[in-house]
Amino acid sequence: MNSNIWLLTFADAISIATTLILASLGAIITERSGVINLGVEGMLLMGAVTGFVVADSTGNLWLALLIAVLVGVVLSSIHAALTVGLRANQIVSGLAMVIFGTGLSQFIGKPIEGDPLPVVIRPLELGWLSDLPFVGPVVFGHDLFTYLTWAAAGGASFYMHRTRPGLLLRATGDAPATVDAQGGSVARIRWVHTMVGGALMTFAGAWYMFARAAAWNQAATTNGIGWIALALVVFASWRPLRAIGGAVLFGFSLQVPFTLQALQIRTLPPTIVAMFPYLITLAVLVLLSTPRARRLLGAPKMLGQPFVRDER
Amino acid sequence: MIVLGRRIQMEQRMAVPKSAVVIVPVVSVIAALVVGGVFLALTGHPPVRTYLDLLDNGYTSFYGITDTLGLATPLICTGLAAAFAFRMNLYSIGQEGQMYLGMIGGAWAGIVLADSLPPLIAVPSVLLFGALAGAAWIAVPAFLRARLGTSEIVSTLLLNYVALNLVNYFIFGSQGFFRDPTTSFPQGRAVADSARLSPLSFFTEKSTNTYPTFFVAVLLAVMLFWFMRVSNYGYETAVYADSPNTARYAGMSSAWLQSSVLLVSGALAGVGGAMYVVGPAGKVDPGLLQVGLGYAGIVVAALARYNFLAVVLAAVLFAGLRTGGNALQVSNDPVPIAIAVVLQGAVLLFALGGELFRRNKVTLVRVQKATT
Repeated sequence: MNSNIWLLTFADAISIATTLILASLGAIITERSGVINLGVEGMLLMGAVTGFVVADSTGNLWLALLIAVLVGVVLSSIHAALTVGLRANQIVSGLAMVIFGTGLSQFIGKPIEGDPLPVVIRPLELGWLSDLPFVGPVVFGHDLFTYLTWAAAGGASFYMHRTRPGLLLRATGDAPATVDAQGGSVARIRWVHTMVGGALMTFAGAWYMFARAAAWNQAATTNGIGWIALALVVFASWRPLRAIGGAVLFGFSLQVPFTLQALQIRTLPPTIVAMFPYLITLAVLVLLSTPRARRLLGAPKMLGQPFVRDER
Repeated sequence: MIVLGRRIQMEQRMAVPKSAVVIVPVVSVIAALVVGGVFLALTGHPPVRTYLDLLDNGYTSFYGITDTLGLATPLICTGLAAAFAFRMNLYSIGQEGQMYLGMIGGAWAGIVLADSLPPLIAVPSVLLFGALAGAAWIAVPAFLRARLGTSEIVSTLLLNYVALNLVNYFIFGSQGFFRDPTTSFPQGRAVADSARLSPLSFFTEKSTNTYPTFFVAVLLAVMLFWFMRVSNYGYETAVYADSPNTARYAGMSSAWLQSSVLLVSGALAGVGGAMYVVGPAGKVDPGLLQVGLGYAGIVVAALARYNFLAVVLAAVLFAGLRTGGNALQVSNDPVPIAIAVVLQGAVLLFALGGELFRRNKVTLVRVQKATT
């Protein structure tokens, strides 16, 4: 019985990691271009609520996911317009996206609060693979999008490190003046990658809604996952593949409180255990900021800096 | 002369014209109201009537404005906290959690110390312990920032969730010190009467939700404004904000400046939480967790462009949106309170966009064909 619960914990950790991977992948792609979008939490909520509303009225999961992605493109282009176009402070604009997204999702979600999910994303049936002991439920017990997410992380890694546009992307984050001198458009590269990143963030929210949440509840649906995804970007040192491992680790720490509750282990009150994911994330951040770790990290050098040609 | 088209030209301003300081925030608010109006219209609420109701319930009626000033009191504090850190390019977003800790610290002093003290000492000591608790909550992020350079953005934010669970633990999760022992209903233990202030009546017979702490918050804003103008410390932070390298060459300690600014910011947010104890709550009250005054403080600070005096105005404006929104929620035509948060976010986004017009002279120029 108990081993069964731990099995479920591992499986859930990997499942929860899907949201974290998608969201931090979006943040990595955005930040590699030199734009920091702190609005992840708001984007997740907006993706979740618009997905729910569309699915509720049409019953079509694919349409719901598509609309959620479009919402991400629109929201992140507001961020791009402010920060790339108008050179506003990226930090404050990101925080504004969090507040705007939180409020708007609450406003849109008011009529559907507590309603049952119109559609759900179910795990795939993988035949004998799912029957394997341990590996079956933990690795092969997930839905299509979880596997696509892993593939997407691999794809993003290939794009960034093995293709020419990927090289330009990294150069834009590190040395925009060089890209500019070489004839590339810093603004266009930043716009495009901010929008792609935003699309991934709202998709992460919509996936979470249909695959993991029971109902729309603004206060509890994401519960700070967006911020953990931002810490994960640092943890993954802006490399897509490393985000997978970190996401599983963070996913595990998010899942353990529920497991302890299920096991009736009451050495610590649930409200105290609920602090752990955030404390663990903080501890990881601290470890990563030691001088030794920082040398190995390699954040985009011009992250958060607007690019103005004549101000070199 | 052949006009080929028009192009937007931006020219950096050497001096910001006085008019832009007023026009940009005003236009931001109006633009946000238009965006909010679109959402209202889409969801079947008549925008103009809703806004008139909002104006009445939030600002112009007696209970509207007094509720608003009461809500603005802690919001001024979190706004000052955000402004104090942000103007030095330290983006602490932990005001929410520091405010909770301020409530806890203030309630502790109100329960333990206040009994034996007269109100004249008890109330300030509650505020002081609130400030200390708020500063303590940011101490770890401040140390990490100053010593290791850990981004304060994520570290302060993560601690908000820890603080939230801490309040829940004290009230719902345990039978401990802060829990009212006289009832099985989960609520906070009341502080001593000497640690509480009675609400202002504004020369009427009515009882309002505005407490004298409002004037303390305004006084804090004025003192900060004055101190940061005249003091050496204010000058050093201004230099550091403009150019950390210049500050270092001039012999200023960046570790000291960063950590002290963050600690003061935490203390300011903590005072806000303690004011909630001295005023309406009188105990550790989980109701504070529902309002989001810490996050709103960031919006207030940004709208005020980190000017401490403008924070007061922006806080009253935002608190009014909130109290007006609350009234709308329970009216015959219920509008979700979230519209107030949507408006807050939209105001901030437009204010950010407006920055460009403040800093640059934007002109539309004709692109002409060169005549040879």
